[in-house]
Amino acid sequence: MMPWRKTHGALFLVIAILFTTTEISQASGDPDRGKQLYYDHSCYACHGYNGIGRRSLANNASGLMINEEIFIIYLRARADQNPQFPTQTMPNYDESSLPDSEARDIYAYIRTLIDQPPPVAEIPALQGILDDAENRE
Amino acid sequence: MDKKSKDDQPQISRREFLGTGAAAGAASVLPAGAATGAEKGPSSSSTQAKLRPPSPLAMAREVGNVEPPASVKRTAVRPGSDLMVQVLRDLNIEYVISNAGSSFEGLQESIVNYGDNPNVTPEFITALHEESAVDMAHGYARSEGKPVCALIQGTIGLQHASMAIYQAFLGRAPLIVLVGREDKHFLQQHTADDVAAIVRPFTKWDSHPTTISETLDALQEAYRQAITPPCAPVIVIMDGHVGKEEAGDLQLPVYYPPKISTLTQGQIDIVAEGLANSENPRINVGRFRTPEGIQDAITLAELIGATVDTRSTSGPMSFPQTHHLTGPGNNQDNDFELGLEAPGAQASIIGPHLRTLDDRDLVGINFGNIRPPVRPVRDTSGANDMIFDAQASLPLIIAATKKKLDARARNIVGKRTERHRKANRKARVESLSKAVEERRAGWEGSPVSLARIYAELWSLIKDKDWCLASPTVFSSRHHVALWDHDRPYSYLGVYPAAALGYGLGASAGAALAAKARERIVINIQGDGDFNYAPGAIWTAAHHKLPMLTIMHNNRAYHMELMYLQYMAGVRGRGTDRAHIGTTFRDPYISYAKIAEGYGVKSEGPISDPNKLYAALSRGVEAVSSGEPYLIDVLTQPR
Repeated sequence: MMPWRKTHGALFLVIAILFTTTEISQASGDPDRGKQLYYDHSCYACHGYNGIGRRSLANNASGLMINEEIFIIYLRARADQNPQFPTQTMPNYDESSLPDSEARDIYAYIRTLIDQPPPVAEIPALQGILDDAENRE
Repeated sequence: MDKKSKDDQPQISRREFLGTGAAAGAASVLPAGAATGAEKGPSSSSTQAKLRPPSPLAMAREVGNVEPPASVKRTAVRPGSDLMVQVLRDLNIEYVISNAGSSFEGLQESIVNYGDNPNVTPEFITALHEESAVDMAHGYARSEGKPVCALIQGTIGLQHASMAIYQAFLGRAPLIVLVGREDKHFLQQHTADDVAAIVRPFTKWDSHPTTISETLDALQEAYRQAITPPCAPVIVIMDGHVGKEEAGDLQLPVYYPPKISTLTQGQIDIVAEGLANSENPRINVGRFRTPEGIQDAITLAELIGATVDTRSTSGPMSFPQTHHLTGPGNNQDNDFELGLEAPGAQASIIGPHLRTLDDRDLVGINFGNIRPPVRPVRDTSGANDMIFDAQASLPLIIAATKKKLDARARNIVGKRTERHRKANRKARVESLSKAVEERRAGWEGSPVSLARIYAELWSLIKDKDWCLASPTVFSSRHHVALWDHDRPYSYLGVYPAAALGYGLGASAGAALAAKARERIVINIQGDGDFNYAPGAIWTAAHHKLPMLTIMHNNRAYHMELMYLQYMAGVRGRGTDRAHIGTTFRDPYISYAKIAEGYGVKSEGPISDPNKLYAALSRGVEAVSSGEPYLIDVLTQPR
């Protein structure tokens, strides 16, 4: 068996190529069911309740969201990892725990996550920080 | 004595007496109407014959109309515990933080009643748990760099406190734990021959004095030990009967400050030579013991125009973050790098580490070898390490360096400083521009983004004297990128033992320090941490502490949720069951109601981000007026 770093390196390469050459596909799952599954399987733990987190998924920002198959392959490919800090690594999702149909539902839900925050200039708390720094002697 | 005195003869109470009809002779001493409530009770001629009537004094006492006696013969006119309080007062111990115990009433009574200005320096602070009491002392120590006392009860209180003592030990916090002991008492479970043994591996020093004189010496030595590097908790076992004994004309011992080792003259000359001759010096500043160390570091950096690397965003007592010399400067090719309680390429002055106390584990019945926190400061392997206290050495280095700088050198320093000032200001603006852009993400999402909490809170406190007391590792530490950490107590740092249950108590302790200094304390409070000892918030209410608690309510032990989620994934089963044992569901916990129950003004839960700023405004206003406030915010996980 290839070391996991190699297998994942290859996977990331494929994803990167697809991401630059392929349009994002349609979702076949049910986003309403996917919302509950996103919660039940603790996807929010790293990706936030709205797809904004340590690894953001909103706005289809992740290469994993190119299509359902890539997304599912990635979910299944992580069983052999043993990181020192599990909080910093994507868990594995086995088919026996999360069937393909449910994975498609989650995929469909993630596709609905859109984040459109105002620009900094329209957020007084953030703009104020910049203004203070600019004005400091 | 075979003949009973008059006082030994049986007496009857007022009610019994009035019921016997024997009241006639005594009624004249009673206030008008006092006899009208007399009840008729059983009477017999034999009872009347044996019992004598209560004295006029007893009768008056029962109706609350007694005058104090002209003189009282007390067992101790000058109790030993009064002298103990005087020693603490002379050491400027501001607080004795205590959970109730039945072995130290002598000392407690002296704290609250002794002297012309009783219950001030030290003031008796009521904690609802011994762990909270020590956490408060820890928070105070981190904020001020000096000790207060925790006062706890024997074996039982010390076991409750042990976790907090362990955390304070790894946090290098100077604090004094007074442990009440009463060997003559009926509660033998509360005592032991060597009470301090249970925490000896993670305390620096302990003592069990047996006389008043020994106790006074022990309190002074405890203070010296606590503030001498490596700073750490110390223990004094206080036998209850000692404090109740008469001190007579015993004089207070003279206090001698500790002698803290500094660099040798040869080492001072090497460092001063290196700094003065450097074309582009840099100083790495770690954590000093007290604010005085920071002032000296500023003096040294400005004297030589050195750029500075600070730890002020990760803990207390470091260099001001927005000082004009803090940052990379205009040239990162440094030819002399000095470390002050931090590594430096050419010279590292790092005080003795806690590992020097390993031999405290004398009998090997405890944890075995205490592990230092992750990534210990290098203190033995560097070729140029000098194991001396940096703060104590700084005045000598400054004096020696000054002598080596002539007018030409000072002119060069001035020009170098200006170049660094401009470069550091530019770097700061660029850093903040990137930081605010990143933290825009999820701004309007619900639950509330933690970045938004930090950003909006900053706009309300930036012009105040504030202290961020709670560890922020779980709330993503957005203050590091967004706030200015310019005071010794700007941020009090992480959990030294990486153990929950510390944040609320430590914040209350920092608020004790803040109360007398017109400062406010910010506590970004994890929900898991809160639930270990929530009673600390009552202490904040009772003592009117300026502590703003903002709940980082993600309804989980979130790290453990991710650990379990990961484990289930590796084993290919039940990733939908990771919430078991890791989350607070069914029912959700209402922190606003808990706070209200403890007497703290509160609001929430807030999940609408557009309601956050107004709530924060109310909270800042409340704590600025000197009272605690809690805002429960439903947040993103991290």
